[in-house]
Amino acid sequence: MAYRGTNGSSLFITVLYVVAACRAIPINDLLDRASQRSDKLHSLSTMLTQELDTHFPPIGRMIMPRPAMCHTSSLQTPIDKDQALRVSESDLLSLARSLLQAWSDPLLVLSNSANTLPHPAQSSISNKVQQLQEHSKTLGDGLEILSGKMGPAAQAISYLPYRGGTDLGQDKITKLINFYFLVSCFRRDSHKIDSFLKVLRCRAAKMQPEMC
Amino acid sequence: MMRKAGEIILLLLLPFVMTHADGTHYRMPGKPTLTSCRSPEKETFTCWWEPGPDWGLRTTYALYYRKENSEMVYECPDYRTAGANSCYFNKNDTSIWVNYNITVVATNSAGSTFSDSVDIDVVYIVQPNPPERVTATILEDKGWPFLRVSWEPPHKADTRSGWITLFYQIRVKLEGESEWEMHYAGQQKTFNIYSLRSGGTYLVQVNCKPDHGFWSDWSSTSYVKVPEYYTRERSVWLLIALFSAFIFLILIWLIHMNIRSLKHCILPPVPGPKIKGFDRHLLKNGKCDEVFSTLVVSDFPPTMSSNYEDLLVEYLEVYIPEEHELMLEESKDLHDGFLKSEGSASDSDSGRGSCDSHTLLMDKCGEVKEKQTDQEGGRMGTEAHTQQADWDESHEDMVSPDMSSGRVKTWPSVFSPLPQYSPSPLHHPNTLETAWQQQQHYLSDTLLPADSLSSDLSQAGHNIKDTPSSNYWKFCLSNKRPHLLQTDARWHLQAHSDVNISNISHKEAPACTYLSSLRSTEYVEVQRVNEEDRVLLHPVSSERHDGKDCLQLCHGEDYSKVKGVDIDNVLLLHREVMEEEVDMCLCDNQETNGATESCYTTITPQKPTSCIQAQAMSGYVDTATMFAQPSH
Repeated sequence: MAYRGTNGSSLFITVLYVVAACRAIPINDLLDRASQRSDKLHSLSTMLTQELDTHFPPIGRMIMPRPAMCHTSSLQTPIDKDQALRVSESDLLSLARSLLQAWSDPLLVLSNSANTLPHPAQSSISNKVQQLQEHSKTLGDGLEILSGKMGPAAQAISYLPYRGGTDLGQDKITKLINFYFLVSCFRRDSHKIDSFLKVLRCRAAKMQPEMC
Repeated sequence: MMRKAGEIILLLLLPFVMTHADGTHYRMPGKPTLTSCRSPEKETFTCWWEPGPDWGLRTTYALYYRKENSEMVYECPDYRTAGANSCYFNKNDTSIWVNYNITVVATNSAGSTFSDSVDIDVVYIVQPNPPERVTATILEDKGWPFLRVSWEPPHKADTRSGWITLFYQIRVKLEGESEWEMHYAGQQKTFNIYSLRSGGTYLVQVNCKPDHGFWSDWSSTSYVKVPEYYTRERSVWLLIALFSAFIFLILIWLIHMNIRSLKHCILPPVPGPKIKGFDRHLLKNGKCDEVFSTLVVSDFPPTMSSNYEDLLVEYLEVYIPEEHELMLEESKDLHDGFLKSEGSASDSDSGRGSCDSHTLLMDKCGEVKEKQTDQEGGRMGTEAHTQQADWDESHEDMVSPDMSSGRVKTWPSVFSPLPQYSPSPLHHPNTLETAWQQQQHYLSDTLLPADSLSSDLSQAGHNIKDTPSSNYWKFCLSNKRPHLLQTDARWHLQAHSDVNISNISHKEAPACTYLSSLRSTEYVEVQRVNEEDRVLLHPVSSERHDGKDCLQLCHGEDYSKVKGVDIDNVLLLHREVMEEEVDMCLCDNQETNGATESCYTTITPQKPTSCIQAQAMSGYVDTATMFAQPSH
């Protein structure tokens, strides 16, 4: 009997501790961390784009697919500030999560292609793609935790499949162009994620107006 | 015919001529170029272009754009707001995360020229306006001024909602300088700058940058003047200088005080040969007994020997043979030994038991040492020996060891390389030497434990060097003399030692009789000086059992000392007395023995005290008795 009592009390204490611990990190702090991560993600993609630009064939720009061809373009996102500020927190988070989720597969493709990319800065590019994958994964996990605190609407993720296949192209030019195109799509989407999270951060940090 | 062809040619060439005459008229405009497009707040944007050469013709420029998802081409809505050669897109026309394809067209009468197209996304071209309302003020922090810069974000940038996140940067420089001092301020809107120059004027500027965008232009310059706090700095330096000078002086003084120890530390003296307890300087001075005093180990002979009881000789049968003259040789060795012995033992009171006779000699020893050479010392030694012999001869009583509480036990010299001491008297000449040697050791041993007494000696202010010298004389002598004394003498010495010890310890002798009898053996008289300048001593054989002796003993003044050597080479001994009362027994003894000692002759039975008193402070005294008092 005494043993059971001890068990029960220790369990209670454990639960209490977990609850206390869970409450220890407030949402604004979580959002701050998430926005920092997304900021880093976007910076990486920008640097990647600039590196690709250094040795990009001019003709490639001519035959570059249009941005509307990005696989995530079907997702309806706000196109100006007023629209963005009217979206609810849960929806914003949902959008961010959906976009992030849509890139898990294409990043793999990018990573594979980066190993054999016909580009002088191939190793650096490959390294950056690797980092993109890591940050993306971490951010996804963090957003998942956040969504748990923000209601069921935040949990909904739109499915945006990538249909580009595992191979970016046969010849060098095509490979390079497709690679560049994918990276540009990712750059934009990462900027969207970053903006949404920063808006969420400022909304949550009512106690810290100096942050925003 | 020819005329017709020329006219035709002329007609054909006319338009060309006319065209060349007015070349610019039909020149297409130069190609314009889009220089930049910027959005200050991610809500609107402006594009600027650079027009090409217009050939003097009126050229109009138009900007057309196409959004990424539609094929519709729109013309720039506002050419004026942003100035010349610009196109301003207001909020309604601006979409973010949308690619714009922008082209500028220059048109003149000759035609139109298209510029290169540019694809832009508004979110990538953000460059905010400079921060506004930059204020720089001087505040004080505990008396030290600092510069506080504060500003506000550009009013167009919406940082409150988080639409734009701005990071700030400050640059400061003194008036007249060329280099700016940059400070990154992060997202905060105030910044403090310390370490200002007193009395200087500072220029301050601030700019900002969005999280993913371009740095803005620098804000307008703010001027701020730092008040004077120059004097305080100066006084601080002055204080520091004074303090340093003070510390420096103290250091110098400390070094000066400790210069010797520092020298010793830094340049340690080269150590010479060192025998523990051996002082070379004393050797130079010729103080024999002092030199060896520290060599003599206090616990040697071992007091905790298991054979202690066996070795302990409490009292001895003393047999004094008829001939007890000592033939003492004066030898260099003796002298050396004497000197050495003189220099060594600090205290020889225990040995002084048998050395009681030495009291007569000790005086002499000291004086001799001062004035003379080793010969005197040799004589002293001989005298000591003769004294001992006398003691041995005269003394017939047993010395009870119980007499003295502090008595030092005497042992045969088992600890020495000499043959084992045997209690039975040895009449062999060989054994005699051995006995002597043993005795010597024995004496020294007895001397040794009396270190405390020696300390008392020094306390009492006695002349220590006299004390050990006598003992050491014996040592010196005994080493060289195979037959210095008869074996009996040895016994006597021992007895005497015991007696002395007892005397030392007990100031008041319980058995006066005993003491008096001891006293009878104490004195040695110089018989004569032989041809070799050797003092021949023989013990005084008188028996003392008088009350006078008792008195003397009771008072503890037992030993006569050598006063000096007169012209006839007579050893002058006199007895030194601590107490005033003196037993004239000594004198009697002397007289009976016919001692030539002046002291004895001078001493009258009626007035022994005077004699003794006269010599009270001159030299060797039986330190044992002297110190018996303090020990008690």
